[in-house]
Amino acid sequence: MVGIDEFFKGQHTGKQPSKARATGTSRKRKEQPVNSASNPINLEDSEDEHTLEAKKPSNQLKAGVSVEIVDEEPQPRKRQRATAPAPKAKASSPKKSPKSKIQSAEAGTAEALLSQIPSVDLDAVHVKETAQFDFRSNGNAGDSSQAAAEEANFPEGAPNCLLGLTIVFTGQLPTIERGVAEAIAKRYGARVTKSISSKTSVVVLGDEAGPKKLEKIKQLKIKAIDEDGFKQLVAGMPEEGGDGSAAEKARQKLKQQEEKAQKDAAEMIKVEEEQREKARRVQSKANTADKREPVREEDKLWTVKYAPTSLQHICGNKTSVNKLKTWLSNWRTYQKQGFKNAGRDGFGVFRAAMVYGPPGIGKTTAAHLAAKELGYDILERNASDVRSKSLLNAGVKNALDNTSVVGFFKSKHDGDVNQKNFVIIMDEVDGMSGGDRGGVGQMAQFCRKSSMPMILICNERNSPKMRPFDRVCLDIQFRRPDPTSIKARLMTVAVREKFQLDPNIIDKLVEATRGDIRQLINLLSTISTTTKKIGHENAQEIAKAWEKNIALKPFDIAHKLFDGRIYSDVGSKSFPLYKKIELYFDDFDFAPLMIQENYLQTRPSVLKPGQSHLAAVADAAESISQGDLVERKIRSSEQLWSLLPFHAIMSSVRPASKVAGQMAGRINFTSWLGQNSKMGKYYRLLQEIQYHTRLSTSTDKLGLRMDYMPTMKKRLLDPLVERGNDAVPEVIQTMDDYYLSKEDWDSIMEFMIGSDKTDLQIKKIPTAVKSGFTRKYNSMVHPVAIYKTGSTTAVGAKPAATPDFEDIVDADDNVPPADEDEESKEDTDFKKDKLIKQGKPKVASKRAGSTAKKSAAAKKRKTK
Amino acid sequence: MSANALKLELPWVEKYRPHLLKDIVGNEETITRLQQIAQDGNMPHLIISGLPGIGKTTSVSCLAHELLGNAYSQAVLELNASDDRGIDVVRNQIKQFAQKKCSLPPGRHKIVILDEADSMTAGAQQALRRTMEIYSNTTRFAFACNQSNKIIEPLQSRCAILRYSKLQDDQVLRRLLEVIQAENVQYTNDGLEAIIFTAEGDMRQALNNLQSTVAGYGLVNGENVFKIVDSPHPLIVKRMLLAPSLDESLALFKELWNKGYSAVDIVTTCFRVTKNLDEIKEAVRLEMIREIGFAHMRILEGVGTYLQLAGMLAKISKVRGL
Repeated sequence: MVGIDEFFKGQHTGKQPSKARATGTSRKRKEQPVNSASNPINLEDSEDEHTLEAKKPSNQLKAGVSVEIVDEEPQPRKRQRATAPAPKAKASSPKKSPKSKIQSAEAGTAEALLSQIPSVDLDAVHVKETAQFDFRSNGNAGDSSQAAAEEANFPEGAPNCLLGLTIVFTGQLPTIERGVAEAIAKRYGARVTKSISSKTSVVVLGDEAGPKKLEKIKQLKIKAIDEDGFKQLVAGMPEEGGDGSAAEKARQKLKQQEEKAQKDAAEMIKVEEEQREKARRVQSKANTADKREPVREEDKLWTVKYAPTSLQHICGNKTSVNKLKTWLSNWRTYQKQGFKNAGRDGFGVFRAAMVYGPPGIGKTTAAHLAAKELGYDILERNASDVRSKSLLNAGVKNALDNTSVVGFFKSKHDGDVNQKNFVIIMDEVDGMSGGDRGGVGQMAQFCRKSSMPMILICNERNSPKMRPFDRVCLDIQFRRPDPTSIKARLMTVAVREKFQLDPNIIDKLVEATRGDIRQLINLLSTISTTTKKIGHENAQEIAKAWEKNIALKPFDIAHKLFDGRIYSDVGSKSFPLYKKIELYFDDFDFAPLMIQENYLQTRPSVLKPGQSHLAAVADAAESISQGDLVERKIRSSEQLWSLLPFHAIMSSVRPASKVAGQMAGRINFTSWLGQNSKMGKYYRLLQEIQYHTRLSTSTDKLGLRMDYMPTMKKRLLDPLVERGNDAVPEVIQTMDDYYLSKEDWDSIMEFMIGSDKTDLQIKKIPTAVKSGFTRKYNSMVHPVAIYKTGSTTAVGAKPAATPDFEDIVDADDNVPPADEDEESKEDTDFKKDKLIKQGKPKVASKRAGSTAKKSAAAKKRKTK
Repeated sequence: MSANALKLELPWVEKYRPHLLKDIVGNEETITRLQQIAQDGNMPHLIISGLPGIGKTTSVSCLAHELLGNAYSQAVLELNASDDRGIDVVRNQIKQFAQKKCSLPPGRHKIVILDEADSMTAGAQQALRRTMEIYSNTTRFAFACNQSNKIIEPLQSRCAILRYSKLQDDQVLRRLLEVIQAENVQYTNDGLEAIIFTAEGDMRQALNNLQSTVAGYGLVNGENVFKIVDSPHPLIVKRMLLAPSLDESLALFKELWNKGYSAVDIVTTCFRVTKNLDEIKEAVRLEMIREIGFAHMRILEGVGTYLQLAGMLAKISKVRGL
């Protein structure tokens, strides 16, 4: 533990021979009161001043300086850095030596130094016209490897010299790339934010800064400097941010942090020792009973060793953890009320809670700790157990009404009710897969009637698999914690393991692992085997090596492929073609569909000179259609799967490259699936109609749709609209002529599109007419041309009961006629029936007729 | 023992597979880390990912051997893609193994090695999650895979991820020379060059090619090596695609064709090469790939003629604006 001071200083001293002034300040730092905790930092105090006294830069600074490294406000920069523009890296200009200019800076404060650096004339700054970031303008040379070189090229400042400053970068800096500049600022302890606020201490302005930002700068009267100014600032500032008040506060905060890490570590050791002591005692007591030796502390994984031991230790997600705890602690009360009373927070109706969020952020731990702290016994089932419906019934269901044996005996002594009870923790609910048949449904069932609290844990709450849990569980979301909340914990671990970890680079690591604490601790543990230090030197490569590779979801694939930046000359270096192809392979069923769905929605940024948007879209469309040709080869009987990479290019990468740019709206899920099934349905309907009408028409499906249907609609619908009830017999007559059933009538109406669309017209028909039509139709017996299972039998007076004889002999059975009037017609109809016998007839109407009349009947029908 | 008898004995890749971590070629930093782990014990859960033939499986098994020594047979469970690794196996076999008691020296744990883990189903991987955590005091897991993105995120989060990079040519060469010495192989320098050339950083491929050449021709020289290797060399194809004029390009192609490479092999190599052809702008490359792809399609349909490929080259030179 003695090493703590050296540890935090180590990173400072190693870097640069500090100037005399720097050592002076660091001495000063030691002198300052240590118990800074008693000296609360007030952020707000100067908030109003700065507008009044804004003219003096020093005041602005004081006002604008924000204190911390540990600020709670969510910061956009994390994300932004991840998507940070590809290194633009111009052939770097010869390094300027701003140091010489700076030597004169006497006072060690940021304020003083800043006042020496010339402000940028805001009005002279070239304002970007379009709000779009254009890559072509700056991307003619350079590659990513130069970015690192540039960072090296940058004047080196004293360690932590920007401590306490809040810096905003905007626009394009002339020689260094923005991401690099931000990294530099962070390395020296500054806080980098994206948006300008009253807390901003200084703005580094580049070319083409957004007009809004300039306005804000003017409004807030914040000091604006250019890149050279920034260099001067870095080079000129003394170690630890000088003696400005802001730096002071920041230092105190940092100090606090160190102390906390130290304290936590010490505490942890203490607890550990206690435990060991206890274990030893227990073992000596029951030496013979329990032969198992305890696992040595150093043989544990770090993730186990440093797992949180109480709910307070969980990084981030405080509200979620509290929610869980409140719910669980009130569970008995809710139960007494029969889960009827929702209560103020609405927790009261739930017997189960669903904790969800990405992996590695402590969901399972939180559930276990919450149960433990409230004295519940835990019954856990996870994905390594079979959880099918029957097994859940056999295993878990019984437990629902049981009491815990352990708790039962314990509770005799201290009378804690909870101890007699279980909490059931179902881990990895979304991991139920093959072999867990019916598990999800059964589990949801339990959630409705369980008499034990249940905590369910999953990663993807939104997946369709989790549907059954909607509204039966209290949803508690865990989010990825932000770097600041992880920082303290990691520092504690580092201190404990005597490992040098530069607090300023934790952000970078957090970003690489996407906020996964477990992974971060694993990372530390692995790296610590060979080296005892993570600093700026190796942070970059470590972050890269540990970046998680995860197969993307269709939405992310489309989003990435449509990003215009990756197709520019520079962008294609940092995100080369093979990576784009890999995107396709992340989900090669959906990627092409998603591209096809969304390619019209972009604002292309990579148009060739003189090319219109429309032309680009045409190119893309052509490519997609050619991709379909390829796909047919792949998926048809030929199964030429070796063409898959080619399909990747033609169906996804190439079309996307033509129209890539900013998305105009949000990315839609492919509608192809829906359309395809709709198409299938229409084909089925058309097929059916064609079967029925085959006797009186002479065309194929397509012809039927194109030529017959418009006319049919005129004959079948228009009379009803115009003449109402009078037209009904006529319409029915037409239908019978074509062997159309009532369902066919509906289908035909559905087929009409455009100006013929029938919805409105059908609405115009009075209900009386409509029902009259239906009644009349049903009351009659109709000829049916083709036997088709189920769908074509007449619903009328005589259901198709005895049809099959007619195939062989003409039955002479008389059927009670529906209507005298219809007699003759029906007669004819029947003859038609006989006609169709050559096909595959099934006759619904049983009107008598003779076989000999076949041809006569046909003739007769024609004359009709 | 004569050289002939040796050839029948074992594939050289197996015969010369390193048994100690220090013998593994390349990726020094990672290997040192593994050596340190082998020394100290307390192996974390591991994911080793990288291209084929760069020593992933070898390093895992070396590590296990060095950690466990004689206890290897009982304290290691090794499953690869040839074994059934469905969800049932994970729930039964692996879980039981994790629960098994095994006397090991302090700091040593049972190890489950899952080779080619990227071919495990997502369900099976899910089932591993809690097992890895609950039994972490006695059992550690090591995964080897080609693409780490096929491992589900929760597992990645539980593991130390080690990425192996391609081997450098001189690293391959050093190892090849060792083998050559041990096997007393006759070789010429251009033969070795050709082997390294064709292996593209894949140690296993290099050794296999070496052995095949020796078995087939006895002497390892450039000509013999290229006879063994079935697909045209990427560099030649690259030269063909980048040729400043169509005539040159066609001449190079004719050379390839006369060596007897099949049209499919040529066209697939073309595709692969063009994909990574950094000399040409990406937009142009996409057009080139389009032409190559359509030629590929036609060749697969059965028209794998000289004319077909010559036509493809002509179209490519048109696309490139020559």
